[in-house]
Parts: sequence; structure tokens; C-alpha cells
Amino acid sequence: MDRAQPSPPVEKRVDGAVSNPELEREIKQLGGELHGSFPSALRHPVRAVDARAMEMASSDRELRAALFRFVDVVPACRSLDDVARHLTDFLDEVPEAPPPLEAAMRIAHTKAGRAALGAAAARGVRHIAHRFIVGETPRAALSVLSQLWNRGIASSVDLLGEATVTAAEADRYAHRCAAALAELAAAVRGWPERPMLERDATGTLPRANLSVKVSALTPLLRADAPALGKQDAARRLRPLLVGAREQRAHIHIDMESLDSREAVLDLVLELLSEPEFAEGPSAGVVLQAYLRDSPQQLEQILAWTRAHTRTPPLQVRLVKGAYWDHELVQARQQGWPAPVFEVKAECDRNFETLTRRLLEARPAVRVAVASHNLRSVSHAIAYNRLLGAPDTELELQVLRGLGDELQDALAQHGFRVRTYCPVGDLVAGMAYLVRRLLENTSNEAFISEQARNTPLETLLAAP
Amino acid sequence: MTVLNRSPSTPARLAPFSNEPVLELRRAAVRARLEDALTALDRGLPLEVPVMVGDDARAGAGSRFDSTDPGDPERVVARAAQAHEGEVAAAVATAGEGFRRWSRKSAGDRALALTRAAGWMRDHRLELAALEVRECAKPWPEADADVCEAIDFLEYYARGAVALEAGRELIQVPGERNELRYAPRGVTAVVSPWNFPLAIPCGMAAASLATGNAVVLKPAEQSPACALRLVEALRAGGVPAETISLLPGTGEVGAALVKDPGVHTIAFTGSMQVGLEIVRAAAEPHRGQHHLKRVVAELGGKNCVLVDADADLDEAVPEIVSSAFVYAGQKCSAAARVLVHEAILEPLLERLAGAVRVLVVGQAADLETVVPPVIERAAKERVDRYRELAGRTGRLVAAAEPVPEGGWFCPPTLATDLPPDSPVLAEEIFGPLLTVEPIGDIEEGCEIIERLPYALTGGLFARDPATVRFVSSRTPVGNLYVNRGTTGAKVGRQPFGGNKLSGTGSKAGGPDYLLQFVEPRAVTENTMRHGIVVH
Repeated sequence: MDRAQPSPPVEKRVDGAVSNPELEREIKQLGGELHGSFPSALRHPVRAVDARAMEMASSDRELRAALFRFVDVVPACRSLDDVARHLTDFLDEVPEAPPPLEAAMRIAHTKAGRAALGAAAARGVRHIAHRFIVGETPRAALSVLSQLWNRGIASSVDLLGEATVTAAEADRYAHRCAAALAELAAAVRGWPERPMLERDATGTLPRANLSVKVSALTPLLRADAPALGKQDAARRLRPLLVGAREQRAHIHIDMESLDSREAVLDLVLELLSEPEFAEGPSAGVVLQAYLRDSPQQLEQILAWTRAHTRTPPLQVRLVKGAYWDHELVQARQQGWPAPVFEVKAECDRNFETLTRRLLEARPAVRVAVASHNLRSVSHAIAYNRLLGAPDTELELQVLRGLGDELQDALAQHGFRVRTYCPVGDLVAGMAYLVRRLLENTSNEAFISEQARNTPLETLLAAP
Repeated sequence: MTVLNRSPSTPARLAPFSNEPVLELRRAAVRARLEDALTALDRGLPLEVPVMVGDDARAGAGSRFDSTDPGDPERVVARAAQAHEGEVAAAVATAGEGFRRWSRKSAGDRALALTRAAGWMRDHRLELAALEVRECAKPWPEADADVCEAIDFLEYYARGAVALEAGRELIQVPGERNELRYAPRGVTAVVSPWNFPLAIPCGMAAASLATGNAVVLKPAEQSPACALRLVEALRAGGVPAETISLLPGTGEVGAALVKDPGVHTIAFTGSMQVGLEIVRAAAEPHRGQHHLKRVVAELGGKNCVLVDADADLDEAVPEIVSSAFVYAGQKCSAAARVLVHEAILEPLLERLAGAVRVLVVGQAADLETVVPPVIERAAKERVDRYRELAGRTGRLVAAAEPVPEGGWFCPPTLATDLPPDSPVLAEEIFGPLLTVEPIGDIEEGCEIIERLPYALTGGLFARDPATVRFVSSRTPVGNLYVNRGTTGAKVGRQPFGGNKLSGTGSKAGGPDYLLQFVEPRAVTENTMRHGIVVH
């Protein structure tokens, strides 16, 4: 919002969080409405099964590890027999396997049994994967994307791929991105008008939207020498920015682990500072609220927007962050202080603080709040309204397969929601899939809390 | 339980051991401190390294030699005095004197000196790392990790020796009292290499000192200044001068030292060839020598990495490449041979080749550098010979070329299609050359590993837990790393050392290491007198 506009009254709580009765009322009201639109498990028998599987996986650490390691290895298996052997070898490591799995282990004693088990397990993994991955190629994904659009849901395409360890792989990824941009830009021209999804106060929002990973654009991304990977990625990202500008597409640079954050953020801000990109393309960066130093990071981004007024404004996608386990394990192994919040409530509070700071910083930035946490989402909408801004001035984002219910509820209530849609083959998708499964079966995950039927009041309570 | 003999200065309890955290170089503010440290170091070069026998530091008595920057051989890092035979004998005699006093101190007192030495290293941390960057061309992250490992050895062995002083529990029956105690052996000759120029000599010296031995240190002639800093740290911590002496010099100094009859233990890390010479020399008792010398040896390796068909190549490729090429492959733990399931030979070879081509070869001081120059001209010539042989009898798949001029740079290279009896596949090259061979299955790979004379480290990339169990029970290597790189053992977490011709299996940084530096003594006292048990 315009800085001249007065901020709504807030009072500081002892723990530093902000409490505002009007805001809280609005959050409860909105959250209740959105929650009321979630489909009940009865109406979605397939999702109910998935939810039960997720809950089973969440409740037993050993089993969860075994199942995820299995899901992870399936694409690398050479035969159904190989699939079955891996499954039984992983389950062998679980001290007390649940009865259905015991039965699976018994049938694996014969070759025919293994083939049957392998086929069933591979089908199961494919089923899960297809819930999260919209298609093997951008072309194959187009029908899903246009269906979403027709239902009032925007999308961002993420091209899954193997890790980039060679220059050829980086070139290949850049080429795939360029091709996807062209394909998306051509396809979206035929889509019907959806004003909520394609316009805000600062101008047009491109229909075609591609998320790009810097780690895939160079084999040289190294935490202790960020300049090297940055330079190498820049020569592949620059043509993509030109392509996006020419085809009026949005390009969003994803954030990954902390090891690459400096290189990624510096790269994007440096490239977008070039005069060539002062008037496009529409571009965005990501802010990870689980990082303790994310408020300083946001200030760095906002300082940049003050120094470089560009049209359209930079979009900032606020996320919790998907590498929590990785960051914590790495820090413990190295003896470093944890870079992420270890208490969920602290992270949630920071998410809300950053949300408010971002919403107040408009129109210098466009704001996208990406969360499956009903409280965080309701808070963003409520605060936006409290600032007197229309709902069009806030974008909400969810992940395909994990935020489907929230996505539908948000669209139904007339909010602008964009679904992050991974595209790629099963091998490439596994790292993504396992990260998402881990994230969402952790005991503190919002989705597993929902699966456990936590009362709405608790789900919407201030963190 | 035996009561600890503590003097008033002894800390009642040392905090539990934890590894010294390496620098968080992903933070710009941390990286920014490195350049200043290097500039400060450069201002003081070359350093003078004297022969240090007890309190006596002799700078210019005999001949001298220089250590130089491998990335710029014109730059002299240190001018060192070459110890002569008389100084070797004097150092051992002084150590014998020092041993008498040092061994009478409690383990707690000795631990205090070692942990203070660790503190001195922490205070001089960047300066020490900068010296390794210059003297040994260790890239910053490696140099920093080496300083941390040196600190870890001091802290870990200090604690281990305090625990060991309590002895072990024995069976006790009425009428007798049984005790098992560990006494220091005497004088340790520490003969150390240049590739971990602080951590390895520090580990061998710290274990000796913690358990009550005196040390005479003969460091590699390539890294005398790093060794000087180690001696300074120990003395600053409170280790008496007579208990730690420094004999800079070339191979003959080490040869004279290990032959000296006053030496009880020889702690050596280096090549298999020199290690075997030491074992032979140590076996021959001299006139007046009333003890058997014990040799603690960490020798070379020909480390293999097995890659099964279900491996995650996204993970395997970067880990293999860094295991083979970081610090130009000059680690005894470095990966040398990849044995890959034939089903994934092609994708692995292609991805490894691409990853090798983008390796950054450069000066150790540049943070971008993965592959610095090798240590000296002879090393470059050796690596070049093996590379030429690999190209002539097999196929060079990829290399990162051209390499910078001026230093001892060798292009990191990936080779394949070598004949099974090729020396390239059997001998330790100790440079940036990695070979790849297909195997029919993991068992075949294990058989290849078993036929090697070495058994230091090994790697396995496989995701079936049954395969992991099979390989861990089948391979004789001292350190098997599963789904990670083969280098970077941490004190207390990966006790390090090899078997077969790779070493005496003594496991540096592990719970058993100190036992190499002590002799066990059992005391059994009859506590019955005229039918009365006095206890």
C-alpha cells in the first residue's frame, strides 16, 4: 500500500508478536468460511485414503523413513522384482510393521508374488506422484493448466529435473525453460478472460508463469564461492528473462537451501537492475520465513526496490521454506547455529510479521503469500483488508496435490490463487516428492494436523 | 575404582567433547575475514623454522632448506634448519628427560595443557589456515577443516587420557586386589606428512602427550612452518619444552630418528614404502635397547567407490567428484577407482565426465578453487606419468584443461577402459586422477576390492539396505562410507585408519587410539594376612 496511508492500530505483545482484536476477528471469520468450503472426506474417498496413508506415515518414524526411501528409489529400479525386493528390504528394517505390510512381505517370498507386489507398489507410487506432478512435459500439462484457469485458478509451472552437475545439463534445463515459456505463452492466448487472475492495481499479471531454479542453471553453484555459480547461471538466465519479456510471461526464481541463497538473490537482483530489464519481464523472488534472518533479507529486497523502480514491480513470494530438515541436519553436523526457527510457533509468527511488512511495502512489490496454513492465509487476507486494499492486491499460492482443497476454497471465495504445478518425469520428480511428503507428514505440519481433525479454533489461533 | 590423582590446577571436569565447528563460509561476512588473514601472513614471509631441542632453538647451525608455495614456487614460505644427526640424538635424550617429569603428572594436568593448546589454536585459527593455504596449497575450506581437526585431536585425546588413567575393571575375589593401569611408553617419534600439515602431526603428538609420553616431531620437509606452529601451540598451552622437540628435515632425519634406541613408539603417517622401511628399522633392537619399538602407521590407500544400479546419481556424482578431486586428490582417503554396476555405467560416466570438465583448477587462496596445485614438482611428474599411462593403455574421458601456469598444477582427469592389470588401477597415485570400471554386480566389486593390498577407505552408493549390510560385512576397509563422500572423517565420529597394508588399524580420533601409546600394567595384591582380609 501507499506509505502515506495510516497503519492500522496494533499493540505489541510481550513476545514481540502483534495482537489486534479487529484483525483476529477477521481471521477467525475468514478462516471459518474457507474451512467450511473444504470438501468432507466422505465426498472424496480417494483423498480420504491418501490422508489415512499420510497419517499412518506420520505416526511411525521408522515406517515413514522406510516408505519414503522406497518411494525415492522406485524410479531407479530395473524390474518389478527389483521394486518388490527394495520394498521388502526397507520394511525389514521397520521393527513393527503394520499388518497390511506384513502380508505384503509374505507374498514376496515367491517370484510371482514379488512381481505382483512390485506392480502394486509401483502403481501406488505413481498414484502418489501424479497427485503432485501435473504431467511429464509442459505440453502434457497444458490441459490441466487450462482446466485450472477455467475454474478461476492461475498456475506457475516448475520444471522438475535431475540435479545439474554438468554444463550440458544446465544448458538442457535452460533450453527446457525457454521451450516451456514459448509453449505456455502460445497456449494461454486462447484462454478466456479471468480479470481476478490477470490484473491488479499496478497492471497486468501475465497468464503464463514459470518458476525457475538457479541450481539447475549452473553446475557451479557453491556455498563458499557464490560469485562463480552466479556468473555461470547469469548467462543462462538472461536469455530466459528476455524470452519472458518478449512473450509477456512471468518468471519466478525459486529459492532453495541456504547454501545457495546469497548467489540466487544477488543474481536475480543484479540481473533485474540491468537497464534492459527495467520494464519487464514480470519477475519474482522468494522469501523463506523459516530462516531466522529472513526479516533482514526482506529489508535487503525492499531496499533494492526503492533503488530500482521497475514496472511491473518485483513479486515477492512468501513461503515457509521446504528445506527445514536439511538446514537443521546440516547445521547440527557442522556445529553451526540453526539458521531456521526450531519452534513452529516462532516460524508462524515470523511468517505473519513478514506478511504485514510485505503488504505495507506495496506498491513497490507485488505480494504472493504461499502457504497451506489456514491461519497464515487468513491472516494475510484479513490484514490486506484491514489496510483497506481490495482482495485483488494480494495473491495466494498453493502447491499442486497438497493445497488442492485450500485452492478450491480460495477460488470459490473469489481470491486470486495460483497453484505451483511441477512438471516432469517420475525420476526427476522424486526429490521433490519426498521433500513434500516429509514436509507434510511431519508432526507439526498443518496438513497432518488437519488430517488429525484438530479443532478449527486451534488451527486458527494466533501462533 | 582407582582414585584419580588430581592436582589443584586440574579442572574437576572437562565439558563433553564436541567437534570444533568449521567456518560457515556460506556467509559473506565470514568469507570476508580470510583475505586479511592471508595478507597478514604474507607480510611475515618467509618464516624461520629452527631445530628445537628442548629450550634450545638453533636456526643456523647446519644446512637449510625452504618450503615454497606450490602455486607459486618462487614464493618461499619458510626457511628451515635441517636437523643433523647430533641434534636427533640430543632431541631423543632431551625427550627422555622430559618424559620422566611429564609422565609423573596426572592425566588431568596434561589434559589442561592440551586443551590450552587447543585454545591457542582457536585464537590463531585464521592465521594457521592461511599458512596451510600458502605452504601446502590447501584451499581455504580444507585448511580450515584441518585446523579444526587439530583442535579436535587435542580436546578428544585429553579427555580420553583422563578416562584411561582410571584403568579398567577386573574381576575381584576375596583376598586379592586386582588393578589394571596404563602407563606411558616413553619417547614417541612422530613422523608426519604435509597433506594435513597441522591435524596429523597434532593428532599423533597429542595422543602421545595426553598419555604421558614425550615427543620428538619430524614433520614433512614440505610443511615445516605448520609444524613449528604446532610446537608453539603445545608449548603455549603448557607442554614443557623438553617434552616436545622439533626436528625439521628431509627423509634421513626421520630415518635417524626412528633408529634411535631411545625411541619407544613411532607414530608415522605417510607412504606405504616409507612405512614398511620404518617397520623394518623398528624391528631391529640396538645395543642397550631394552624394549620393542611399537609402530603406529597410517599408510596409503587405493580407495574404491562401489556404485550399484539403484544409486541416486544426483547424489553419487558430486560426492565422487569431490572425494576424488578436492585438494587435488592428495588425501589418503581420496577416491581413486569407481566400480559401477554395468547397468548404469554410461549415465554415470557421462555425468562424471561433465562434472570433471567444470572443476575449477586454481590457486588455493581463491575460494572458487576445488583443485589446487599438487605439492611439488616430483608429485606433478608422478601424476603426469600415470595420466600418460592411462591415456596410452586406456582412455581419458574428460579433464579440466587448460590448467594455470606457474604452479604444480595437474589437470583433474577421468580415465576408463584400462587393462585389469594396469598400475593405474593398483598403485596409489595421490593426485587428481580417477578411473571408472564396470562390474557385473556388487559382489564382483567386493572381490576386486579384496584383491587390493590396501584397505583404507571405501565408498558405496546403493539404496537397498541389504546391499549396504552385505558390503559392510564383506569389505576389509577401515572406513566405509555409504551414500556420501569418502573423505572428511571427523574426530569422535569416524575413527580413521586402514587395515591390510594401509596401516596398523589404530584408528585415529577413535576410542582405542590411545592404547597404542601406553603399556598395560596389572598389579595384584594379596590382601589376606593370617586369615584376615585387609581391605
